Amino acid sequence: MWGLRSTRTLVIAAATVVFVVCCVLPLASMLAGTFSGRTSVGSTYAALLLDPRQRRLLFNTALLGIMTATFATVIGAPLGVALARLELRGKAILRVLLAAPMLLPPVVVGLAWISLGGDTGLLTQLAGRDLLSTWTHTMSGAVLVLTLVLYPVSMLATEVAVRRIEPRLEEAALIVARPGRVVWHITLGLAAPSITAAALVIFVLAASDFGVPGLLRVRVYTTEVFTAFAALYDFGRGAVLTLPLLVISTLVAAAAVALAGERLITTRRAMSGRHPPLFDPWKPAAVAAASAMVLLALVLPLAALVREVQGVRSWAEVVAGSGIAIRNSLVLAAVGATLTVAVGLGLGYARARARGTVGIIADLACVVLFAVPSTVVGVGLIGLWNRPGVLGTVYGTDAMLVLVCLARFLPLAVLGLAAAVRHVPYSHEEAAAAAGAGWARTISTIVVPQMSASLVAVWVVVFVLAFGELGASILVAPPGEATLPIRIYTMIANAPPANVAALALLQSVVILSPLTLLAWGLTLREAR
Amino acid sequence: MSSLNGFGPIHVFAALALLGVGACRSPEPTQSADRTVTVYVSTDRVFSEPVLREYEKRSGVTVNAVYDTEETKSTGLANRLLAEKARPQADVFWSNEPVRTLVLKSRGTLAPYRSPSADGIPPALIDPDGYWTGFSARMRVIAYNTTTVTPADAPQSVFDLADPKWKGQVAIADPRFGSTSFHVAALYAVAGDEKMDDFFRRLKANDVRIVDGNSVVRDLVARGEVKVGLTDTDDVNVAIENGQPIAMVLPDKAGLGVPVMPNMVSLIANAPHPEEARKLIDYLLSADVERQLAQSEAVQIPLHAGVKGPKNIPAIDTFKPMTLDYTKAAARVEDVTGRLATILGL
Repeated sequence: MWGLRSTRTLVIAAATVVFVVCCVLPLASMLAGTFSGRTSVGSTYAALLLDPRQRRLLFNTALLGIMTATFATVIGAPLGVALARLELRGKAILRVLLAAPMLLPPVVVGLAWISLGGDTGLLTQLAGRDLLSTWTHTMSGAVLVLTLVLYPVSMLATEVAVRRIEPRLEEAALIVARPGRVVWHITLGLAAPSITAAALVIFVLAASDFGVPGLLRVRVYTTEVFTAFAALYDFGRGAVLTLPLLVISTLVAAAAVALAGERLITTRRAMSGRHPPLFDPWKPAAVAAASAMVLLALVLPLAALVREVQGVRSWAEVVAGSGIAIRNSLVLAAVGATLTVAVGLGLGYARARARGTVGIIADLACVVLFAVPSTVVGVGLIGLWNRPGVLGTVYGTDAMLVLVCLARFLPLAVLGLAAAVRHVPYSHEEAAAAAGAGWARTISTIVVPQMSASLVAVWVVVFVLAFGELGASILVAPPGEATLPIRIYTMIANAPPANVAALALLQSVVILSPLTLLAWGLTLREAR
Repeated sequence: MSSLNGFGPIHVFAALALLGVGACRSPEPTQSADRTVTVYVSTDRVFSEPVLREYEKRSGVTVNAVYDTEETKSTGLANRLLAEKARPQADVFWSNEPVRTLVLKSRGTLAPYRSPSADGIPPALIDPDGYWTGFSARMRVIAYNTTTVTPADAPQSVFDLADPKWKGQVAIADPRFGSTSFHVAALYAVAGDEKMDDFFRRLKANDVRIVDGNSVVRDLVARGEVKVGLTDTDDVNVAIENGQPIAMVLPDKAGLGVPVMPNMVSLIANAPHPEEARKLIDYLLSADVERQLAQSEAVQIPLHAGVKGPKNIPAIDTFKPMTLDYTKAAARVEDVTGRLATILGL
């Protein structure tokens, strides 16, 4: 159809170069350094394999990731189905409220739950006795906090996937099967790859998170990596200790591929017509569940923050000087998300149209690279870009923060966009090619319009993650005012708790506002 | 759906990309490129930023500051300095505790500079090789809740924290990071491994609470969630100034001595602006800066004679400081970190 000399090859090749430079080389340079650095490679690798303590930490990490992914999917996927299929009043607002927890930094939610559930917390005061404090600083507490923050990933992915399902498939199935079987085998079956991909993303986000386990004193592997850098200043050890985390992620990704596989039925027509009312009997339960999640995941943590904020003496003092940081965060996150989606679209297309082993390897590579701890990425970027010449002119500018976004989140974008491209029938491209359209025109007029909702969803997720990114950003941000998370975290030390809560609220409001407008705008467009 | 609808997101994305390219900054000084200095600062931003802004006003030099987070929130500027060693971006490193500075010295990241402003600072707080100079010190203290603990009952020694009467009522920051890592390394260097291993085992048996940072220790003590905790003078002073029921004891005045942590300032090897770097170091080591830090909520103890100290903190010549070789203490950090990870189950 399109040969090797077509625009497609050029675009995919360029996207691949960006992917290798931004995502692969930082990790590769860090690992290469382990063979020339001060760390004894042999002893460090031996410690990984033989130390029972390390194995226990690996087990905890896997448990945290799996439990969080499971609960987040159990909560998020049904909500996504409800948003996709039920006529709900104020659905646009409800969607924003349900997705908003994802905008809150996990550490902030952790702090809020400590404030709520601690032995002098709000819940203790309301109940008259200590209900939760012994449970807060445990694996269960960490799973709860991360689940409440990450379930929107599953929800958004499921909603987009379910919207894409051809209604006629369900109608045809209803002729011969009960609604329950149709839901399970058709609706959820077709959405399964997206749901599984989202679960995998949640697993990696949870397993690679340091903030919440550190805050709740849960011993996981990321603390080992962090300790290697922060306590021992040993880059080689930190890079080597990343490997088990990547191995776990690879194993989970392989399991996900085995479970979800390449199951997908595409049709010759895009989504059209009205879906059968398969889910209407569950509408009251869906409304109740959505309300409960908004209360648990958004209202209660924000209430805890607002309670803390009552002690702020001067909001002007808190907000003063944050204007530049807010601007930088919004602009750089938007630019980073845009570039990430643009590059990710090319690679996601290539992955979606690849078959067999190549595609599976691409998926595993994306998962592995997404799991790389932020500090390893940051130190790797310094090593690559802080050099004389052209590379050095980039280092020391805001472009480094955009590179952080690409390095950390491009693999995620590729996974998400590949899942979206799969829903676009290849026959549509074939028809366009037969009509004489080039690849670029086919992509822009046939493929992209059919996946515009997914593009927006991936952009939103990357924007949110980029906005809140700290671990790598603080290592490469140019001197002078950088981003809002950097400003907040550099001010936390010895700032009054009320001011810390106020800054956390500020970050949440700053990121929520443009996304609310975007969601409202898209909803109006859909309504027309 | 019209064929143009699908371009909506693309148009938005393109506009954002163009906006972003235009908005990307390079670090352009407001004055000439020669009158710029870049300083990486590990001292709490709330205390250090006013000092640097004051220097900007007085000197006309643009100060590009990179601040650090709490030690448990990110891997810190010391790692950034190490990573940038081949092509430094920073001119000066201002640290709030010795370990980071000494690690950087050992890795060849610093350059020697003996500032004339260091005259009057005790020689024990100046590197004999000239790679760092101490100023404006803090101390490690035992904080106690004044509602539940009387001054007479308050522990007077770090080792008292392992007393069963304080079971479940002691908080310390994670001893692998920050000033607490310096404190425990210093204790191991001075008191010996056997005694310290035994102390931490007893502390573990006493259900010690290990938390995120010194400010968290202070908050737990002030709220009465624990009765006592190990933290820093500036952390406790913030709570005292806010009227919270907390006070502090200088530990081991009659024994090992009180651990003193000076700020340390260093010149970065191959700094891009060495002349401006030296001028900034001269300023930071001046009596005037020590006065600013003493009078702020940082309540840092001046090391220059004749500079008035903070109101809630004893002057450095009124108690017995821990006799300590900072280099030897810093060298123990890796080993001690491993020991405590095992003993305390970190």
